[in-house]
Parts: sequence; structure tokens; C-alpha cells
Amino acid sequence: MAAIGVHFGYTCACVAVFKDGRADVVANDAGDRVTPAVVAYRDTEQIVGIAAKQGRIRNAANTVVKVKQILGRRYDDPEAQTHIEESKCTIVNKGDLPMYELDTGETTKYVSPGEVAKLIFHKMKETAQSALGSDVKDAVITVPFEFGEMQKNALRNAAEGAGFNVLRLIHEPSAALLAYGIGQESPSGKSHALVYKLGGTSLSVTALEVNSGMYRVLSTHTDHSTGGESFTHALAQHLAAEFKKLYKHDVSSNPRAMMKLMNSADVAKHTLSTLSSANCFVDSLYDGMDFECNVSRARFELICSNLFNKSIQPIKNLLQQVKLSTSDVNKVVLSGGSARIPKLQQMIRDLFPDVELLCSIPPDEVIPVGAAMQAGILVGKESLVLGEDSITVDCCASDILVKEVDESGADIFTVLFPSGTPLPARRQHTLQGPGSLASVCLELFQAQKPLAQIVLRDLEPKEEMHDILTVLTMKRDGSLHVTCTEQCSGRSEAVTIATAAAAS
Amino acid sequence: AFSLPSASVLSGVLQLMNRVQVEPVGRWFEAFLKRRIRNVSASFQELEEEEELSEEEEDEELQLEEYPMLKTLDPKDWKNQDHYAVLGLAHLRYKATQKQIKAAHKAMVLKHHPDKRKAAGEQIVKGDNDYFTCITKAIEILSDPVKRRAFDSVDPIFDNAVPSKAEGKENFFEVFAPVFERNARWSTKKQIPNLGSMESSFEEVDNFYSFWYNFDSWREFSYLDEEEKEKAECRDERRWIEKQNRASRAQRKKEEMNRIRTLVDTAYSCDPRIKKFKEDEKARKELEKKARAEAKKKDQEEKERARQAELEAARLAREKEEEEAKQAAQLAKKEKEAQKKAIKKERQKLRTTCKNCNYFVDTEAESVKMMEDVEKLCDRLELISLQNLNEGLASGNKEQSRAAIEKQVQEVNAQLQREREAEVKAQQAARSLDQSSTGTGGGKGWSEEDVQLLIKAVNLFPAGTNARWEVIANYMNLHSNSGIKRTAKDVINKAKTLQKLDPHQKDEVNKKAFEKFKKEHAAAPSSVDNVVPSERFDGSSGDSNSAPWTTEEQKLLEQALKTYPVSTPERWDKIAATVPGRTKKDCMKRYKELVEMIKAKKAAQEQVAAKSKK
Repeated sequence: MAAIGVHFGYTCACVAVFKDGRADVVANDAGDRVTPAVVAYRDTEQIVGIAAKQGRIRNAANTVVKVKQILGRRYDDPEAQTHIEESKCTIVNKGDLPMYELDTGETTKYVSPGEVAKLIFHKMKETAQSALGSDVKDAVITVPFEFGEMQKNALRNAAEGAGFNVLRLIHEPSAALLAYGIGQESPSGKSHALVYKLGGTSLSVTALEVNSGMYRVLSTHTDHSTGGESFTHALAQHLAAEFKKLYKHDVSSNPRAMMKLMNSADVAKHTLSTLSSANCFVDSLYDGMDFECNVSRARFELICSNLFNKSIQPIKNLLQQVKLSTSDVNKVVLSGGSARIPKLQQMIRDLFPDVELLCSIPPDEVIPVGAAMQAGILVGKESLVLGEDSITVDCCASDILVKEVDESGADIFTVLFPSGTPLPARRQHTLQGPGSLASVCLELFQAQKPLAQIVLRDLEPKEEMHDILTVLTMKRDGSLHVTCTEQCSGRSEAVTIATAAAAS
Repeated sequence: AFSLPSASVLSGVLQLMNRVQVEPVGRWFEAFLKRRIRNVSASFQELEEEEELSEEEEDEELQLEEYPMLKTLDPKDWKNQDHYAVLGLAHLRYKATQKQIKAAHKAMVLKHHPDKRKAAGEQIVKGDNDYFTCITKAIEILSDPVKRRAFDSVDPIFDNAVPSKAEGKENFFEVFAPVFERNARWSTKKQIPNLGSMESSFEEVDNFYSFWYNFDSWREFSYLDEEEKEKAECRDERRWIEKQNRASRAQRKKEEMNRIRTLVDTAYSCDPRIKKFKEDEKARKELEKKARAEAKKKDQEEKERARQAELEAARLAREKEEEEAKQAAQLAKKEKEAQKKAIKKERQKLRTTCKNCNYFVDTEAESVKMMEDVEKLCDRLELISLQNLNEGLASGNKEQSRAAIEKQVQEVNAQLQREREAEVKAQQAARSLDQSSTGTGGGKGWSEEDVQLLIKAVNLFPAGTNARWEVIANYMNLHSNSGIKRTAKDVINKAKTLQKLDPHQKDEVNKKAFEKFKKEHAAAPSSVDNVVPSERFDGSSGDSNSAPWTTEEQKLLEQALKTYPVSTPERWDKIAATVPGRTKKDCMKRYKELVEMIKAKKAAQEQVAAKSKK
């Protein structure tokens, strides 16, 4: 059973296939692993992907870009209004919902954002099918954390319209964590992770808590004004300035020339992520004049220094907000195409000196891979219908610890149930004591306060150490059941601790 | 290192738990969700895992039974060996799992492999003749599901026996239960109904027998094939072998089916429950039948009673009705008679009064006329007006009486006149309708003479004459005695309609013209004079024969009119009878036409006479 994960971004869409226990991104018919989320409407056909993006210079009015910004939004939504202002397409108000007005030959066509999204999903489906060689329906689709119910529904409907069976919609940061399998090996323990996503048009930073293999979003911040395009734009502005310097012509008012420059800057930006310098060349940029320019990485970093600062600042704000220090974060996951920029990675690394920066998976593929992994978990299971996209669980309120004494006689506290452990949960803990002891006492603490003492008496003295196995079960109602067993003799002692509410 | 309090102490209570939202991602989340939906505790899954473990352990504890004859087996005779016994699985047989078979084989190989034995210092027979080959064969058969099934089908220790009826009669359940249990293993279906006990319900027993009567067996007999397909040297031989095998397999299969069938039949015939059910059924049916018969009888009685009551009621009602009708009829009759008597009396009175007064006139002739008038009055007047008249006559003197009678007579005459006029009007309306429908009349009536004249004129002024139709019109106006002014247009129209008529009709017209001419000259209007147009005519002639009248018919009609005078009852019926092929309606219509014709002729004559007088 194959299943796929689809990431449908503002600028790009990407599909990953889960097969034989592995999730992998598949390349589209153009050989690219990421497909631009651009749809061009022509007289008789609709073109999706790179061809549409390249043809945009000539067909801007009929080429829909960044459809995700408007998907599932009302016409008077401020976000939608921003999109309408920026878009080169005509957008009209049809019954409070935005519609693209497209000129296809002799007739004017009205296309809803949902239909555009459907075309892109269809393209992704085709890509996955050609890679698998068979029909594939089951898919997990990622949504940004800030998406509302209407937008999620619109996205789901578009995916279903393209023939997908949407197994689940998951949040992009969770998908990113899942791609690296964080917390998936062992269900115990608690850690914090930060997902940094710098996409084409948006920046989002999310702090998550991983507890017992489950993810919980602590806080998130999204900035729609910063993204990969901002860098491209800055570079294009620089190129335009260079051109002006060389030929004394201002091209910034010529939209077509600017679009050409943008494309060139885009290529240069990508090159600079791997090479230290890039060559920009634009044929007949303005008035039949060609333009050639060399940009070094240092130059690029200088141009974009402001943007870099702007990209890093949200991390600090977010950590402050959730009251975590940089050392509390155990994992940082980079995602989004622009997270490839070496300077940016360096800056984040500087910010988290002790933390491993996870970027082994190409950043723009992290989210679809995570989605595909989730699809692999879900596919073939009896359908567990989820009403909402996140689910409420009971969890214990504070840490439950056990006190031990090490050889030197100092107290050691071991956390058995970290706060926020989803219930019910069970932990095992093994104590060792000298064989000469006749009785053993186990002390449990909640936060820093003592909770209970369990005493095992009449132990037979022996040569070896006493192995005492403690099984702690926290039930869904919050009560804690503790059983201590001495392994050799089988002597055991059990205690049940009720919650404050039940006790009072 | 441990502090030692005397007992377990609870020194605090747990804080209230929190509720948090988690992301629906990852396998731990799925596991959690599954637990939550199935509402089981965390330990459940661990238990499941343990169960799986214990199963595996069981497999490992496989007990192998040593087959004592193993070492004496002849590998060439592998077909007749018991493969399960060879592998030490004689106690499990067809119930052995694939895993067990593998494990058993492994154990056997470890023990009996020639190399092992050689190492143990045993003598080994060279080649394929060693008994180890039997073990290889056994695993070969048993590891292949198809071959294993074939072998299972002919399991040498399976008891094919079917108990006889005599055995089954005694203690049915003891004899048949193990037999059915034994044979159930051949079933392709997994759910096998139990034979049950004496207490089993009818449904259970029925289910059991329907299962066994429709028994679907997987047993097949390819293992007993005498010829081996693989040994064939060419295709033809292989085919021949296949055919042979197929036939023998089918034969065996048939026997097997027969065996099962016999078994089930025997069981069915011996089953004490079936007997019991049959008896029960019989008793029940009898009871039902009885009940039905009773119900029917009761029903019939009921019906009979109801019918009787109904009849009685109907009879009474009828009698009553009859009585009433009789009374009513008598009453009506009496009344009528009284009225008749009264009117008779009144008439008599009138007559006598008139007679007594000598009809209020002096001369004989006048008295005759008066007498006629009085008779007319007697006929026409109603009872009340007669009474009034008589009273008037009785009270008044001679003059007054006469005046009253005359007045009355005038009234009656006026009434008659009115009736007659209405009749004539109706006739005319009918006629004009007729004319307009045939289209011959145009705006102005074309009488027969005019048509004749027209034909004459048309013949006189042949086509090509200068202003022909004007000339014809003038001629018509000059010679016609109808007094209608005709224009050229009218004339053309008429001529055209005439032309449209078929030649037969033209002939008719000519003939008629001739007849009229003859009649005019013969001057015999007597037959017409005695005819009073008091008969009513039906203008529409739905079913009448619309063909023109032939001379013969015309003659017959005239003759009939003469033979049956006006006073003849059902005059027209009789007339119609004398003219073959014409109905009463036709005759009446024709007569009417004739009358019109004659009238017109008379009017024309009078005009001529008046003119000549001037």
C-alpha cells in the first residue's frame, strides 16, 4: 500500500511517496522535485508548474500565483485583500467569495481559488502516480498552523476534487518533526523542538513539546512579509541598480524587465547557496540591451543583512514568549526552501550553540516527507475518523519523580512522568540496593514536594544486589498506581494515589 | 542508603491533571488514539504481545512421535507410506500447521540425515534407496498445499464406513455423531452445524440436514492416479494419461458423493427427531384441518342465516312497495278518469249549449261552420278554459255567448296560425341551412326554373360570345319570373357550381325540368292540394340516402302519396315502405322539396296572371 504526503505551499508544491517503509520526494515530469504552485490559463489549456512560471512574463494577467493566500477566504478578508492588491490577475467579488477573472481567448472565465488548487493537486497526483506506476489515492496533506476551519475545508475539498482520499490534514511543523522521527523511537521522555520554516513568501517559527512521542504546539509565529521572495526582490533591486549604473536606464518602472530580473535573481540566489559567486545574465533586458553581472555570496549577504536579522528575530521573541532559553531547545528543524541559505543557517547555529541543527533532508522536502510518513502510518488502518486536526488529551500536570541515592550518597531525582505526559501512561523503573538490606523505601515526589513512600520489608538478605522493579501506571482520571516488586523473592507492595479532586 | 519508615506512607495528593492539545501525528499518537477508541488500558497491548509470544513457544514445544517402521520403509513405495507418520506427526495429521510440519521435518533431518548417521557409525545404503528419501518425499508432499490436500483426501487411516440403518435405529446419536464429525473435515465451509441432541429445535435439525445434503467437499483423488503425467514421453501420451486420470478421479469423486449421500440419507431416515417432527407436523395438520372444517361449517351456517334474513327483508320491502305503487296507480287512475269525465262533461255541455242555442246563428251554413268551430274548441281547449267558457255561456245571453265562442275560436285559430308559422319558419331555416351548405343558393335563391333558364342561356350564348356573362345575366333578368336581379358575377358563380355537379346530377336537373313542364301542362295539382304541411320535418338527415331521386323512385313516391292520404296513421312509414332504398326521412324530405317546388310554381303562375290582368 503506497500513500503519499503532499505539501501545498504558497509558492511551491511538493509530493512525497511512502513506500516500503521509506518516504521519498518524487520528481515531476520536468525532473524537478518541487513544482511551482503556478497555474497559467491559456485559450484551451491550463498549465501547471515550471512552464507556467516561466511563461508568466508574457501571460501575467492569466497566470495565478500564490493561490494559497486566497484559498478559503472571503473577499473582504484583509489577507485576501493584500493578495488581490499584489496579484497581476483580476480578482472579482462573486457572492462574497473571490474569483479570478481570466481572459481565455474570446471568453472571460471565472475561476475560483479552489479550482486552481485542484489543478495543482491534480498535478501532484499525476507526479506521484508516474513515480509509483499505479493509482494512488490516500494522501496526507499539510496545512499551516494558522489556517482556519474554512481554509482547511477549502484545501480538503480541492484535494478531494483532484481525486485524493484525504487521510488527514496535519500541521506543517508537526510534519517537519515527524520527517526527522523526533520522539518516535521511544515514547518516554520530554523534549522541546523548534521548527524554523522560511518559505517563498512566509516565515514561521513554531515551538513544540515532544512528550511520549506526541507533539504539542506551544506557540507559533508567522510573518507573511518575509520569505524567499524578499531575498530575491532585494537582489533584483540590486541588479536594477547595477544596470542603471552601467547603462543609465531605470528599469524598476518596467514590470516586464523587473520580472526578468526577478527570475534571474532567483537563479542567482539558488546558485549562491552552494557556490560563492553567481553570474546573472539577462538577454535584452531593456531596449535590446543585454545585462550581465557577477554577484558574490558576500555581496548577497550584505544586501540582505536586514532581511536576515528580520528572519532571526522571531525565534528570540518566540522563545521569550514560551519562557524557554535557547538551551532548553533540544532540536531545531529547518524547513522551507530559503532555509538553505548558508548565512541563515549559520545565524541559527550561532543562536543555538549546543543544539543539533537538523537539515539533512533538503529543507523544502522536509514537510512532504513528514506528511508521507504520516500517510504510511495511517494507510491500511481501519479509519480513525478525527473530527478536528488536533485532539485534546489528558495529561499529568507536573513532573512525577523518584528519589534515588547514588554511591556518593547524594540524592538523584529521576523524572518518571514529565509534566504533560498524555494519560494513560505506564513507566517502569528499576532500583538496585545492597543485598544486605532487609527493607527498601521508595520515595515519590511531585514537582519538589513528596508524594508517597512505598516500603518493601522483610527482604531476604543475600549476596547480590536487590533488584526492585517499580511499575507506575497513571490512569486517565489522573490517579497513580504504583507496584514495587523485588525480583528474586517476588515480594511486592502496591499503592494507589488519587488525584486532589478525588481525594478531597 | 534508604531511610526506613515503618510502612508505606502517602504524604501528598496528586495535582489535578491538565488538558492539552496534541498534534495528530506519529505512531505514538495513533497507538494512543486506538487505545482511547477501544477504551482499553495501556497494559492491553502488552498483553497482546505476550499472547503472541506464548503462541510461538507452543509451536516450539512440538511433540514428535517416533515412527517405528521408519527405517524399514522402501523409498520406491513412497506412495503408500503415511507421510504424517514419517515426519512423526501421526497424532496431528491434517490438523498440523505448516509451521509444525516444517519444524518436524527439520528435527527429522537432523536425526536421520545420512551424513549424521554416517557420523554416528551407521551403515548407509547408497543412492536413493535410503529411507531418508521417504522423509524428503513426505515433506515434498506435505509442504505443498495442493499435494497435501491430495494426500489428506486419501488419508489411509480415515474411516469411510457408513453406519447401516439397523445400527442407527438403536442409538442414533452415539452412532452418527462421530461419523458426521469425521466427515466434516472434508467440508469447504468452515461453519459446520452440530448433529445436536434430542432437544434440538426444528430449525437446528433442518439446518443440519440442509448442510449435509448440500455438502461441498474438497476431497479429491488425484493422489490415487495410477499413471503419472510426468512420466509420459510425448504430448499424446500425456493427454491419454490425463484423460485416464480424470475419469478415475471423477469416478471416485462420484463414489465419495454417493457415500456422503448414503450417510445423510441413512441418518435422516433413522433420526428419531425427524420422526418426531413428522408426527408433530401430522398432528398439527390434522388439528388445523379440523379447525378449518369447523370454521368453514360455522361460516356456512352464518352465511345461510344472513341470507335468509336478507331475503325476508327484501320480500317485505317489495310487498310494501307494490302496495304503495298499487295505491298510487289507483289514485292516478281515478283522478284521470275524473278529469276525463269532467272534460267530457264540459265538452258535452258546450255542445249541448251550442246546440240548444242553435249555434247562435240563423243559417244552416253558418251553423255548420259554427259546429266545426265548436268541435275544434272541444278538441283544443283545456279543461279549465272549457269550464270558463261554459260558465260564460251559461251566464250570458245568446249574443254574449256567441261572442265568447267566436273569441275563443279566434284565439284557437290564432294559436294554430302561430304554430303553423313557427313551423314554416323552422322549415325555411332548415332549408336555407341546406342551401348554404351545398353552396348552390348563393345570396339569392336559385329556383329550379332559374337554373333551367341559366342552363338554357349558357347554351344559347356559347363561350366566346362578347361579354358573355353580362349577356347571360341580362337574359336571365329578362326571362326569369322570380323577380330577382342577377349580376354577371352571380351567374358565373352559379354556372360554375353547376359545372361542378356531376353529369348525373345535371341529367337529374334536366329531367326534373321536363317533369315540371309536363305537370304544368297536365295541370294536376290535386295531389298537392289535399296535402297540408302540418307534418314536422327533421332538417338534418344524418343517415338518409342523399343520392338524387330517380324517376322510378319519384313515381313510386307520388303513387304512395296518393294511396296514403294525410289521415292515414303512420303515413310516412307506409310511404317509405313503398319506395325501395329510401327511408322515411328521405321521403319526407323529398316531399317537402316537391311541395316547395309546387308552391313556387303556383306563385309564379299567380304573378303571371296578375301581370296579364293588368
